[in-house]
Amino acid sequence: MPSLTHKIEEWMKEAEARPESAVTIVRLIARRLNELSARNEELLTENIALQNGTRVEEYQKRIAHLEYQLDLLKRRFGTDELTLAELPANNMEASTLSLLVYNTFGRILRVELNAGAAKLGRIADEKLQSNEQPRILAVPSNEEVMLLFTSGRVSTCAVESISRVDLNNEWTWEKAALPDEPRAGEFLACIMPISHLPLSEFFLQVSRRGCVKKTMTSMAQSILGNHYIGKGTLQKSDQPFDATLCSKKDQYAFVTFEGKLIGLDVNELSYSAEDRIKMTASDYVIASFVPHEKESMLFVTQTGKVIHREHDSLELSKSPLAKGQALIPPSRLEQGVRFIGAASVRETDHIAVLDSKGNLHLHQADAITGSGSIEADGLILSIGVIPAEVWRDA
Amino acid sequence: MGIKVGIDFGTSNSGVAIYNGQRVQLLPVDPKNVIPEVIKTVLYVTRDYRTMIGQEAVETYYRDNVNRQRRFVKQWAGEIDVYGADMHYVRDIFVYVDELKPGRLLQYLKTALRKEGYGGTQIFERYYTVGDLAKTYLGLLKQRAETVLGEPIDSVTLGRPVKFSEHPEQDHKAQETLRNAAREAGFKDVDFELEPIAAALDYEQTLTKPQNVVIFDFGGGTLDIAVMRLGDRHKRDVYASGGVDIAGSDFDRAIIEKRMLPHFGLGQVKLQPEIMGMIHAIPDWMALPELGTPINKNILEKAIHAGTSPIQMKALQNLIYNDLAFTFYNRVEAAKIVLSNDGATIITLEDKDIALWELYTRHQFESDIYHYLVDVEKVLMDTIAQSGLEPGQIDAVVKTGGSSSIPLFTEMLVRIFGKEKVKQSNSFTSVVAGLAIRAFGNS
Repeated sequence: MPSLTHKIEEWMKEAEARPESAVTIVRLIARRLNELSARNEELLTENIALQNGTRVEEYQKRIAHLEYQLDLLKRRFGTDELTLAELPANNMEASTLSLLVYNTFGRILRVELNAGAAKLGRIADEKLQSNEQPRILAVPSNEEVMLLFTSGRVSTCAVESISRVDLNNEWTWEKAALPDEPRAGEFLACIMPISHLPLSEFFLQVSRRGCVKKTMTSMAQSILGNHYIGKGTLQKSDQPFDATLCSKKDQYAFVTFEGKLIGLDVNELSYSAEDRIKMTASDYVIASFVPHEKESMLFVTQTGKVIHREHDSLELSKSPLAKGQALIPPSRLEQGVRFIGAASVRETDHIAVLDSKGNLHLHQADAITGSGSIEADGLILSIGVIPAEVWRDA
Repeated sequence: MGIKVGIDFGTSNSGVAIYNGQRVQLLPVDPKNVIPEVIKTVLYVTRDYRTMIGQEAVETYYRDNVNRQRRFVKQWAGEIDVYGADMHYVRDIFVYVDELKPGRLLQYLKTALRKEGYGGTQIFERYYTVGDLAKTYLGLLKQRAETVLGEPIDSVTLGRPVKFSEHPEQDHKAQETLRNAAREAGFKDVDFELEPIAAALDYEQTLTKPQNVVIFDFGGGTLDIAVMRLGDRHKRDVYASGGVDIAGSDFDRAIIEKRMLPHFGLGQVKLQPEIMGMIHAIPDWMALPELGTPINKNILEKAIHAGTSPIQMKALQNLIYNDLAFTFYNRVEAAKIVLSNDGATIITLEDKDIALWELYTRHQFESDIYHYLVDVEKVLMDTIAQSGLEPGQIDAVVKTGGSSSIPLFTEMLVRIFGKEKVKQSNSFTSVVAGLAIRAFGNS
């Protein structure tokens, strides 16, 4: 290759022949120097990581994480690696759809749904001994779920291993499954499906008081192996409320009892627990979700009134002292209107609704947004979304 | 009855125009191009033998080919007879074929017409002669022009360089190949006009009194010169014409040979003839795509593994196996064009494992192509001498074609004829406009 000195001599000759070219040459070289300088810094950083072993550790962790993900997939499909490798991406094992209704005492009612059922059944006994309402989660029956307890403890179980209750029947919490009984002083905070763990980058936790914590899914093996993810709270009185999986390009939203909506950019969230909302003493988080484009947000009050907002109306908050977007006008707040649930839905999704008389109903999301209310026999206690694709696959 | 158009079948760009006796209409045959009246002379043939030209061909090529997967399979290609002193045996010949290759992009179709020993090329299962390639391109161009005009075209005046080849036989053969290709493409009546004369007819539209004019048509494939008396439409004289096959593609080649090859290992790899062969094939647009065989890949892998200029070998591997050749030639050509106006530019090619960056100045470019200046000046002076005129008797020198904008050649013309006499016509459309005028006159 011609030496750099020779090239420089040639560039100088150009500058001598046409002085105006000198400016262009200097500009082009300066731009190149800038690029090379940035690249040099990247390489130096990489070199340091290689020298001190950080990179090796990182790769070891990544390998362990991939092994764990493979293990999860094997368990989900009930097969070995060879069969898994041959499995076409769009030909997943057919599965039924399970609706999990669970309470803070770790009791889970699992109903297997079939298309067309509007009324699913009824919880006959006294609803609860605590103030916490039951929660609803729809998952494929071959899913694996993670149970998060208020102490920060986690455990996993296959949905199919949770004993099933009959559709269109009366159920009692006593007869509900108890896959992992809460230990002394702890309650079941939430249940989270984890089959998408290999495709996700973070666990996100939100507490009752709006404290958010992000954890990399590369830590999944350690978390699930040690059965501990942490409470994700700052105050002693606070406790975890919900957990979800997401990627760095996602947005995350949570909604409070008193009608405040907070939108967050996942990529900008800190890995340590951080308060993300300034709320009143009586307020607390009642729902969280990862909104996607083409979805809209539904907010439901105790009386079944539905507020509908488009996805792009979500404002991303950067300040930990944000008060959030107020969705309930002050006059209505004074009248006692409060949210009991919220979700991000598509028109084709279904919504499962649990009312204060224990009835569990299914509604079409577009019917709810169209009418602006949910018809129920009593006050609404809880809602859960059944995404159309989960329903279809089932 | 169909109409007659003029077609400039250029080395790099082509065009179609029609003349109604009053004004020339350049047809927008490539709406996707920046200048819709100019269409790139490139042909893309897909695996299922669909064909496309111009910007559509380029876009499809990029979409389907760059960084695609490859899968080589061994295919029987034929057999050869081997004769020894007292023995004779037949041996099977196999070739490795990339069965995932979605299509082939062909450019410099016009150069192929005059290239000695180049009969055609194999595209998947079919063999395309040079005539087949030209026929396919002209057929598609005709279809586009008919769509624009909304009526059938049955005759054409095609442009041709003053000399397709220095050898009269080869020159005649190239013209007849092009004539047959045009007929097979659907033109019933085909005639030719020399490209510089066509450019002169366009220039003549601007004249108010007769002039002695030199047409300096310097395009992608050839330099064509004509010395003419223009201005009186009833009495045009062609005093002399000449040409040489030096043009834009030779300058691109010079840049690649002198400035780019070191980035792919020239001067560093020695005693490895297979690799040297690959490096020296880079400037040859026809040879480079053929290098992508598993054997060559293995050779390059071994060199990289052995630490033989690994960065350059990796770059060479990427150039060949990631289908970056077309991008690479385009970058070099773009740099050349920039240097017609600016004093310096950069030639870059960045992809996975390739980071080529070269600051290139006009001074370097001129020194790289300087030897061509001597040849060009000689052809020009010979043609002027043939015309019986002295440079002082020339009233105007009309430059046309992309390469005519290169300052080195403009300076030469200014030095010989004087600044006020050197005029620039539209580089890409003056020839086709003249061909349309000629087509009108001949119809």
